Amino acid sequence: MTTAAPIIDLNLMIPEIFLFLWACLVFTYDLVTKRKSGNAVAWLALAGPVLTGILTVVMFSAGFYGYGKAAGAMFEVDPMAVFFKIIFLGAAFFAIGSSFGLLKNRIVNHRGEFFGLILLSTVGMLFLAASREMISLYVGLELTTIPLFVLAAFFKDDRLSVEAGIKYLIIGALSSALLLYGMSFLYGLGGTTDIWQWKLEVARIAGKGEGVGVILTLSVITILAGLGFKLALPPFHQWAPDVYQGAPTPVAAFLSVGSKAAGLVAFAKLMIGGMVAFWDPVMIPNDWGILTAILAASAMIVGNVVAVRQSNIKRMMAYSSIAQAGYIMVGMVALNDFCLSSVAFYMFAYMFANMGAFAVIALIEDATGSCEISTYAGLSRTSPALAVTMTVFLLSLTGIPPLAGFMAKYYVFAAAIQSAGASPTFGFLYWLVGVGLVTSVVALYYYANIIKQMYFHDRPSTSPITFDAPMVMVLAVALCGVVVFGLFPEPVLQFARQIPPPYELFQH
Amino acid sequence: MTGDMIIFAVSAVVAVFGAVMMIAQKNPVASVMFLILSLLAQAVCYVQLGALFLGAVLVVVYAGAIMVLFLFVIMLLNLRGREDLGLSSHPMNTITKFLLVVLLGVELVLIVKSVFMSGAVGGMMAKPTDDFGSVAQVAKLLFTKYMYPFQLTGVLLLVALVGAVVMARKDRSEIAHGAPSEEAVNEPTAGKVGR
Repeated sequence: MTTAAPIIDLNLMIPEIFLFLWACLVFTYDLVTKRKSGNAVAWLALAGPVLTGILTVVMFSAGFYGYGKAAGAMFEVDPMAVFFKIIFLGAAFFAIGSSFGLLKNRIVNHRGEFFGLILLSTVGMLFLAASREMISLYVGLELTTIPLFVLAAFFKDDRLSVEAGIKYLIIGALSSALLLYGMSFLYGLGGTTDIWQWKLEVARIAGKGEGVGVILTLSVITILAGLGFKLALPPFHQWAPDVYQGAPTPVAAFLSVGSKAAGLVAFAKLMIGGMVAFWDPVMIPNDWGILTAILAASAMIVGNVVAVRQSNIKRMMAYSSIAQAGYIMVGMVALNDFCLSSVAFYMFAYMFANMGAFAVIALIEDATGSCEISTYAGLSRTSPALAVTMTVFLLSLTGIPPLAGFMAKYYVFAAAIQSAGASPTFGFLYWLVGVGLVTSVVALYYYANIIKQMYFHDRPSTSPITFDAPMVMVLAVALCGVVVFGLFPEPVLQFARQIPPPYELFQH
Repeated sequence: MTGDMIIFAVSAVVAVFGAVMMIAQKNPVASVMFLILSLLAQAVCYVQLGALFLGAVLVVVYAGAIMVLFLFVIMLLNLRGREDLGLSSHPMNTITKFLLVVLLGVELVLIVKSVFMSGAVGGMMAKPTDDFGSVAQVAKLLFTKYMYPFQLTGVLLLVALVGAVVMARKDRSEIAHGAPSEEAVNEPTAGKVGR
């Protein structure tokens, strides 16, 4: 064994370290202004993800930064990491931008902590996206979720919010325990925590006894259950509606995009990066593809069907996000060259539409104090611009052309169909796509219900909504994203296609 | 059956017994006590594996410090085991719980079976080296190979610290309105003074 400490190549970690220091700056700024920082601390926090993005681009063009490994090959910047980092930074930007309304009367104390914790959670996501080893992956995942427990319970005088925090804490601990249990089996099999090394080692011993297949299957089941909780895939989804409803709305938005993307990255790394060599009926009797397909189908069915019955829009969005996770998993199990790129693009498009819709919900909640769908009645009369914006977001979530959501769904389903046509093993994907298409119609029903409320009610239940500057910015960026990436998805797709196919994920 | 085997069998049974009793107890103090029992038995297993340091850490840190804190908090909150923990009886919750239990049970049986299957798994797990689990070995791994995740846990601690301050500190509005702390603990709705 080597005794020399691995050289931690800090160049590659500059974005993460920068954002971490920025979070500390946000904490400190709130303290030195004697907690009377007002909106300034929010603006400061909003600059965090933006500056990190700019810094990365500048360093990239200056040649300081690029694809490569650091910290003893535990940290790697690859196309997948970079793509998901953009999504994480974007989600943080939207979440912070739509939080300004909360500062007026909901979040009076601990403003610095609120925004700092959002940034620290983003730091965890960035580290997670770059990990190629199980322990750092796990620590990154914890760093992502632990701030979210606190953020979900941030309204300490609100019973629902506290309940959301406690529920998320317990579910988070349980899912982490399941994940760790599964990873301990993996370590026992391969004797290493490096995912690529592990894969080689297990491929080597695979033929030498039937015990390997059993233990692999068991760890797959346990890890799937753990990640199923993180991604809120039924039957591991009950926490999601309660937590989304109770948590501050921008936090719920951040949960539905940032935390979900983090779960997806962990899934891609462990399952697609680590297990894909064992996609073989001999090795694993019930390979993880079928299990994941079942989870995806149940997510699409349960999410979409139960969403129809909701009268609270945050609960509805929670079920809708469960369903969206189902669509994403369809892309994951395709397991061909397009699978990860289609998933990444889906997440990218979903970020704009979902964060935008949640921003509108936050705005309405700040104005009226209510999250009931009936509040949206007649919104087109009082605030026509807002109604149009919300309509665009909802149509994108449904997957109506020419918006980004349609392209995303199209690529995910196309990847699955292509895979199903290529090999009879993947024949079940036809069924999965069928379920996806049918449930999309159900989704149209409940999204259109809100549009109906906004446009076809004569008696408005709200007075005109006033905007603040950051909210205008958030809505404008999200709207542009939904429309532009729907019409011109090619540049982003081209970037997404740099993500290596499943068999080569950690190879270089 | 060697002496090692007997010690292992006893400590393993005690560990599982402690864990089960910990969940089954209504009284939180008894729960903590059973958890400590389980941890002590686990420490014995570690020592048997040769990981003396890890066993000692388990006793000192978990059974000692953390569990004492647990006890402290429980006694501070004055829980006497009569609280309704309000476990939801939603049918889907029950199904999920049932599924998880069955899954873990099946898993345990299969693992035990596959480990004892002749010639199945044997040989793939490397034998521990002589200094396995020693302080030097643990420290070497922590500060060389796993330096990066170790540093990351530092950030994690900062997050936990900030989170604890946010959750535990009395807010200005609460202090101004003088919300009594005990009432706020027992009845969450009573905390709505700040609005």
